[in-house]
Amino acid sequence: MADEAERLAAIHTARSRAVIEGIESIDPDFVLHLASSTLGAVLAHFLAGPGARAGRTVFAMPREEEGVAVTCGLELAGRRPVMVFQDNGVGNLLTVLLTLPQAYHVPLYGVVARRGGLGEYNSMIHTVSERVEAILDAAGVRWFQLDARTPVEAWAPEIKRAWTYSRTTHRPVFTLVNLMGG
Amino acid sequence: MTLTRAGVLRRIDAAFPADPVVLTLGGTAREMVAVAGRRPNHLVNLDAMGQTVGVALGLALGLRGTRGGRVVAVEGDGSLLMGLSVLSTAGHLKPDNLVVLLLDNGVYLATGGQPTAAAGADLVAMALACGWAGAREVRTGEELTAALDWAREAAGPLLVRVFVGTEQIRTDYLLADPAILAEDFRRWLRAPTGGPADV
Ligand SMILES: Cc1ncc(C[n+]2csc(CCOP(=O)(O)OP(=O)(O)O)c2C)c(N)n1
Ligand SMILES: [Mg+2]
Repeated sequence: MADEAERLAAIHTARSRAVIEGIESIDPDFVLHLASSTLGAVLAHFLAGPGARAGRTVFAMPREEEGVAVTCGLELAGRRPVMVFQDNGVGNLLTVLLTLPQAYHVPLYGVVARRGGLGEYNSMIHTVSERVEAILDAAGVRWFQLDARTPVEAWAPEIKRAWTYSRTTHRPVFTLVNLMGG
Repeated sequence: MTLTRAGVLRRIDAAFPADPVVLTLGGTAREMVAVAGRRPNHLVNLDAMGQTVGVALGLALGLRGTRGGRVVAVEGDGSLLMGLSVLSTAGHLKPDNLVVLLLDNGVYLATGGQPTAAAGADLVAMALACGWAGAREVRTGEELTAALDWAREAAGPLLVRVFVGTEQIRTDYLLADPAILAEDFRRWLRAPTGGPADV
């Protein structure tokens, strides 16, 4: 049991570092976040660690939907925003995704932490999280997944590529990252 | 005499001819086009209810320091109430260039005039309590003149709650392609032209 907990903690640390590296490679000037315990290490980097730096604004969006609207404005102003939030918020943002960035062809990028898979400790979050791929697919919103199937060394470049892809294709793109066991 | 929305929109266009203006959905955007024409500095939110101020907040944060002037959101009471959390975000981040002009007719006019919950809500007090730099109410033409002068000069974020009637002017539907609206607006932001003479 202790071994398993340590193994999961090591996975979480390595993947959190990879996500930080990936987001830093985008060099965002705005980081909008909605807290998640899974994202604790990533958010700590941007809120109080080396990622909290002059010229970068890091702030909480009270709701994912509002974050999309603000991010759209930042993108229209020519800035480099990145959204960071947890996958059970995806249900909160479909209408705004489809009526703003998707419709207006505004690039928008977010890193979304997966929940509810192997290693999950919460007994009900999977009710939303397991449907996130299906929800995004049904909405026609493009996403990429990073989990145990992708070597952790490949995560940071994949995150940067997904950000670039949102620019290339003029629409919202998300990277779903599993920081837990699966 | 109660202010009319179309009359107030005409005044807003005259007050901010060369600043980015985000127009909320429904009759507000359509009436602005009817009274002022399609302006390059106007970005129309066609249907993202609740998000007009959020988009303007992002623009204000993004343009702060790179471009003088203001970023104006023209919002409705129903739409503001749908995304009310933005008051706290803007109050926290305090972009000094953000101006929200709330056209409060007390109803969801675009969908038939069903009452909103705005009547019992002190939205000026809410904005101030959230940390906005200034907020005030407007009921008359003189108050509107003073408020628009103030909104052009005072440090933001500023909220002006303008009480308007439910009278509407006849307009065509706005059938613009949103991708083109966004690109036109971006192009204007890159090379701003200003003033009524440009249109
Ligand atoms: C998510 C969502 N729900 C409902 C609507 C329908 N709708 C369009 S405009 C509108 C009324 C907006 O009210 P308000 O902001 O007060 O503007 P007004 O019509 O009074 O000018 C509504 C309910 C919508 N566009 N989006
Ligand atoms: Mg209304």
